[in-house]
Amino acid sequence: MNRRAFIAALAAAGLARPASAARAAQGLTIHSAPRPLPALDIRDGNGASAGLDGLRGQAVLLNLWASWCLPCVAELPALDRLKPKAEAMGVRVVALSLDRGGKVAVVNTYARLGIKTLDIRTDEARAAAEKLGASVLPVTLLLDSQGREVARYVGAAEWEGPVAARLLDALAAGRPLTPDMAPPLAKLTGPAP
Amino acid sequence: MKTLLMAAAALLAAAAAAPASAGEPPPRDAAEREVVGRFLLMDVNGRPVTDQAFAGKIRLMTFGYTYCPDICPTVLNTLAETLDKLGPDRDKVATVFISVDPERDTPAHLRDYLTSFPGITGLTGTPEQIAATAYNLKARYQKQPAANGDPAAYSVDHTASIYIMDRAGNFLARLAHISPSDHVVDRVRSYLHSDRPGSRP
Repeated sequence: MNRRAFIAALAAAGLARPASAARAAQGLTIHSAPRPLPALDIRDGNGASAGLDGLRGQAVLLNLWASWCLPCVAELPALDRLKPKAEAMGVRVVALSLDRGGKVAVVNTYARLGIKTLDIRTDEARAAAEKLGASVLPVTLLLDSQGREVARYVGAAEWEGPVAARLLDALAAGRPLTPDMAPPLAKLTGPAP
Repeated sequence: MKTLLMAAAALLAAAAAAPASAGEPPPRDAAEREVVGRFLLMDVNGRPVTDQAFAGKIRLMTFGYTYCPDICPTVLNTLAETLDKLGPDRDKVATVFISVDPERDTPAHLRDYLTSFPGITGLTGTPEQIAATAYNLKARYQKQPAANGDPAAYSVDHTASIYIMDRAGNFLARLAHISPSDHVVDRVRSYLHSDRPGSRP
């Protein structure tokens, strides 16, 4: 039975539907109007406040990840390589860990992956997923220079390709984003269990 | 006598339908039968555990698996947040994560994974035990082969709801997996108070 038929059969039988519907929503969503970002309590590796207010005036790629999320971890090395290139283009790259244990999980994951450029950023209030409406991870928010969310990408993207470069270029310049700038989903190599 | 025979036949039919293995069409009676919180599974130390282990506690239960290949639900985050917000009431609640991927979610692996979510009890089991649990809870799951053909990289579509069961394991409610933790907390508190006549919130 294919997936659509399976889901239809479930609905007909009054059974709860599987979570597969979420998978259809992967990729880039460009908002019709920029959305103000709720206040987040972001901390650095020393526990000091490192909120996005400090980046006002610059476009930001805000990646939400967690150490328990394999595709998130698989995406981090690409973001680590992207960061200096994106920042040269005028887009700051922030990888925000939603791990409930704070920075320990971040330090361990960064060490294991050999992360060089990404800073440690943790969600102190452990509320970012809910506040940002992230029901799945990874999710990457694209913020304009006023700190407003103009688009979000669900799933791991090919951040280092030419399409992503056009997207980040437009974001940095404050130009409207268009669907043809959507980077493809990354082909993640299955992380070792 | 005839009635008894018919009842026996109905029971046999129900028993025949019970081991609903993933992928089969759902049994016809699914819309009518009750959600039942009975199960026999395996804890993260490989020991058998039944719903009786949580007697006296309101249960929050959800299905899932740890090897989400492309995107991972944040429902365990929501449940961990729920426990935090319950404060002292958290001891009256059992929060249970049931794997629908017994092949890869071994007890030891589940134990490692759940160190990220203190307070959440992980359960796995044999494929038959998990199928029976899902059948009782009217949950569904189905393996999906990986697009790249890697047999080890399959995903598992599954019912993602948050189930709330009472202190005896009876079904109370099923919430969407995207429910905010405040909403889950409110529902749990309402049940904590409503099933103790005489106590005041």
